[in-house]
Amino acid sequence: MAAEQTAVTDSTESGLGGKYLTFSLGSEEYGVEIMKIREIIGIMEITAVPHTPEYIKGVINLRGRVIPILELRLRFNMAVKEYDDRTCIIVVEVNGPSGPIMIGMLVDSVSEVVNIDSAEIEPPPEFGTPTESENILGMGKIKGNVKILLDVDKIVGAGVLEHLEASA
Amino acid sequence: MAEEVNTFDKLLNDLALKIMMVDPGDLSVVGDLILDLENLDNTPGISTKFPHLKQMALDLRAALGKIVMTDIDDSAENFDIVGQCIGLMEEVYRKNDNDPESVAAFNKLLSTLTSSPAAAEKLKDSAPEEQIKAPAAPAPAPAGSAPAAEAPDGPIIHETNPETLDFMEDMELLSGFIEETKEHLESIEVNILDLEDNPGDMEIINNIFRPFHTIKGVSGFLNLTNIQTLAHSTENLLDDVRNNIRAMDESVIEVVLKVGDCLKLMVENLQDTIDNGVEAYKNYDISNYIRWVKGVQGKETAEDSITAGSSEPSAPPAQAPDATPAAAATPPPTAPAAPTPPKSSPAPPAASNAAAKPKTKAKKVGATIKVDVDKLDGLVNAVGELVIMQTMVRANPHITAIADPKLNKDFGQLFRITSELQKTSMSMRMVPIRQTFQKMIRLVRDLSKKTGKQANLVMEGEETEIDRNMVDSIYDPLVHMMRNSVDHGVQLPEERERLGKPSYGTVSLRAYQKGGYMVIEIEDDGQGLNTEKIKRKALERGLIQESDNLSNHDLNNLVFLAGFSTADQITDVSGRGVGMDVVKKAVEKLRGKVDVMSEPGKGSIFTIRLPLTLAIIDGIIVQVGTERYIIPTIAIRESFRPRPEDYKTIKGQGETLLVRGTLVPIIRLYKYFQIEARCTDPCEAIVVVVESEGKQRAIMVDELLGKQEVVIKNLGGITDITGVAGGTILGDGRVGLILDLAGLVTAKMNYSLDVPAAIPRDNAAIEEAVGTENTTDTEKATASEQAS
Repeated sequence: MAAEQTAVTDSTESGLGGKYLTFSLGSEEYGVEIMKIREIIGIMEITAVPHTPEYIKGVINLRGRVIPILELRLRFNMAVKEYDDRTCIIVVEVNGPSGPIMIGMLVDSVSEVVNIDSAEIEPPPEFGTPTESENILGMGKIKGNVKILLDVDKIVGAGVLEHLEASA
Repeated sequence: MAEEVNTFDKLLNDLALKIMMVDPGDLSVVGDLILDLENLDNTPGISTKFPHLKQMALDLRAALGKIVMTDIDDSAENFDIVGQCIGLMEEVYRKNDNDPESVAAFNKLLSTLTSSPAAAEKLKDSAPEEQIKAPAAPAPAPAGSAPAAEAPDGPIIHETNPETLDFMEDMELLSGFIEETKEHLESIEVNILDLEDNPGDMEIINNIFRPFHTIKGVSGFLNLTNIQTLAHSTENLLDDVRNNIRAMDESVIEVVLKVGDCLKLMVENLQDTIDNGVEAYKNYDISNYIRWVKGVQGKETAEDSITAGSSEPSAPPAQAPDATPAAAATPPPTAPAAPTPPKSSPAPPAASNAAAKPKTKAKKVGATIKVDVDKLDGLVNAVGELVIMQTMVRANPHITAIADPKLNKDFGQLFRITSELQKTSMSMRMVPIRQTFQKMIRLVRDLSKKTGKQANLVMEGEETEIDRNMVDSIYDPLVHMMRNSVDHGVQLPEERERLGKPSYGTVSLRAYQKGGYMVIEIEDDGQGLNTEKIKRKALERGLIQESDNLSNHDLNNLVFLAGFSTADQITDVSGRGVGMDVVKKAVEKLRGKVDVMSEPGKGSIFTIRLPLTLAIIDGIIVQVGTERYIIPTIAIRESFRPRPEDYKTIKGQGETLLVRGTLVPIIRLYKYFQIEARCTDPCEAIVVVVESEGKQRAIMVDELLGKQEVVIKNLGGITDITGVAGGTILGDGRVGLILDLAGLVTAKMNYSLDVPAAIPRDNAAIEEAVGTENTTDTEKATASEQAS
């Protein structure tokens, strides 16, 4: 991961090329490395966990495992949208403080799996503030569309689930 | 390549040359020889191409080291043997390390040269030639060990060369060895303590001997030289005992216990090495231990050799001449050099020992296999899921609509099978508490030695099973309580006799299952708790009021309160209550309870009640708004719908409820968890009165849904949520949160109240509430105690 990170800053000829699952949040298209994804499930009843940040919707039962669900819209400070039959939970595996953990990301809808060449990936644009682009691996360009390639480890991984009490 | 060969050639030639020139008394040449051997050892390629040669070089070096240390006489004969050894090494080298005869001859030669097991594992010999020459030679092996007369405090750690850690090559084998050795060491300890009560029981001696033998064998295989050497020398000592060459006296017991401790240390370090890499490896210097063991052993053998005057040079100790039981039984009249531990007493006659109380414990042990814990947990989880799914299928409206008797019968059958499956898979995680109990034997023994008290440990119910995940957590509190019972409970022998009690105090450790709980009792027949003084202390500390009408039992149980533990005066006053709050906390963490019953002058019984497993919790499911929570049943006192006249506010800030004459603070769960509830008026809602860490709270919920055993799961990475201990999968497949009462009770309820006044409670109010509570809680406990 760290290697990827440096690669991004070094050049666009990075090792970022590969298969990405794309999904949408409002009008924006995002991509997540396929290797990080465990499964995609439909929306199900979520048990709220108190004293957690708003974007943690709660926990679900995934075949006997309790996994946290993160509302990606809220994580990105976007307006919430009512769930419909296209709403999905993308279950990803990220590095937790003690081994890998599974986390579900709530997204508007899942689109497709695309192959993006390294050459088609640009480093994240600079907005002047580091916070805007810190979760982004790069921008993938396909057929004129731009997919925002997310660094899931940063979005849902280390630091997000710990010390919730302090941030709550 | 050629260079390497040249180096070997040169070094071996050099060695051969030097040994020719050596003169008795000329140790500088020996030093040169050692240097050469070291060079040989460090020559690149030796370990791959000439492993035998390398071992020979190592062994010879060790032997030469002994000559320098004058452990071996530097006589012309001995140098002759060294010369032959070097000749054989050359032979082995010429035959490209493929010459078993020469290696064997070499080992035989060395074994005649040295008495040290450090030389090689092949040397089973410890009645060396030098001992026979003892009268002539000024420094025979046992005498040379005089400086080690004191038991070593602990092994010294040497600098180590990480490259030599070739045992790291097979991690699996190594970790297997570590596990096994730990078990062996535990069994050794238990057996040796058993032996103290049944001296001379051959079966027990064999039980001690065998694990040492195994440890020696496997460590030798793994090239763990230190462990092997130590185990080997101890094994030799025990072999002597086995063969009636010497008696199993206290010095032997002390040695074996200490060696066990040392081995444990070394094995733990190995584990550390596996976990943290080779840097963590410590090369322990065990020579002190070896000398000690040798010393204890040498006491007899040296004596025998001297009096016997002659024997075959390479006679193994098992056949040591004239070592009849009678001879061995006689304590050595002149053993000034033989190191003797301070507490050593003359050896009782071995013959009578063997006859005394031949108590063998035949334990029936079924065949077992070792299973990876993860796999087991996976199975238990899967079975839990199966049960839930089955309930869900059964509850499906379409299924319930079918009125088919066959279907109902089949469902019944299915339920029986799944519950049987669940029970079996759960029981696989259970282990007998025996191991934990057995560690107490040593503790009590050491404690009574240290405190001068005489205590007998009586154990019952060692077979009682407990969740293996709990075993570690229960150990510390148990140690604490045992220590308490022996140190503070049991009086000194004189005092006991004065009181007409047997001078030996009896501490009983019992375990049994009762009503879904595992009960551990620690009973002593000591002085009991001084209730009066506990009361006085509690009053001084403001833990109780004079007006509180508390029974003696309640007063005694005050020792578990936190305020009591820090008071060092308690030790002087009543001798009880030191750190007991720690015990209580640890037990409560395991969702258990602890209690004490005491009668002054007669003794005390401490009782720990634990759930049988940590994986399952017995809980009441409550509904708050749309959410369901699980409250652990063990903490629940009662639940009811409050009457308006019992609802009180303190200073218009804190809400409390009068429960059986006690003011209990109310927790509005929906407020604290920031969710919508159906009932916002306490008198419409149900309150569940819970107790944790001696504090009571009334938790407001909408509804009680039922009682259920639930499997505890973590929240998949979400941690440290105050008031939430974990999650579980409820019957409908949804996740329910398990309340963490300890967290809720201590959490600051800083939500604002709708009724009667929207003022957040401040610290003062909380403190006041807590103050009121502590007095009232005990009252409450009385009530419930009497009720039960």
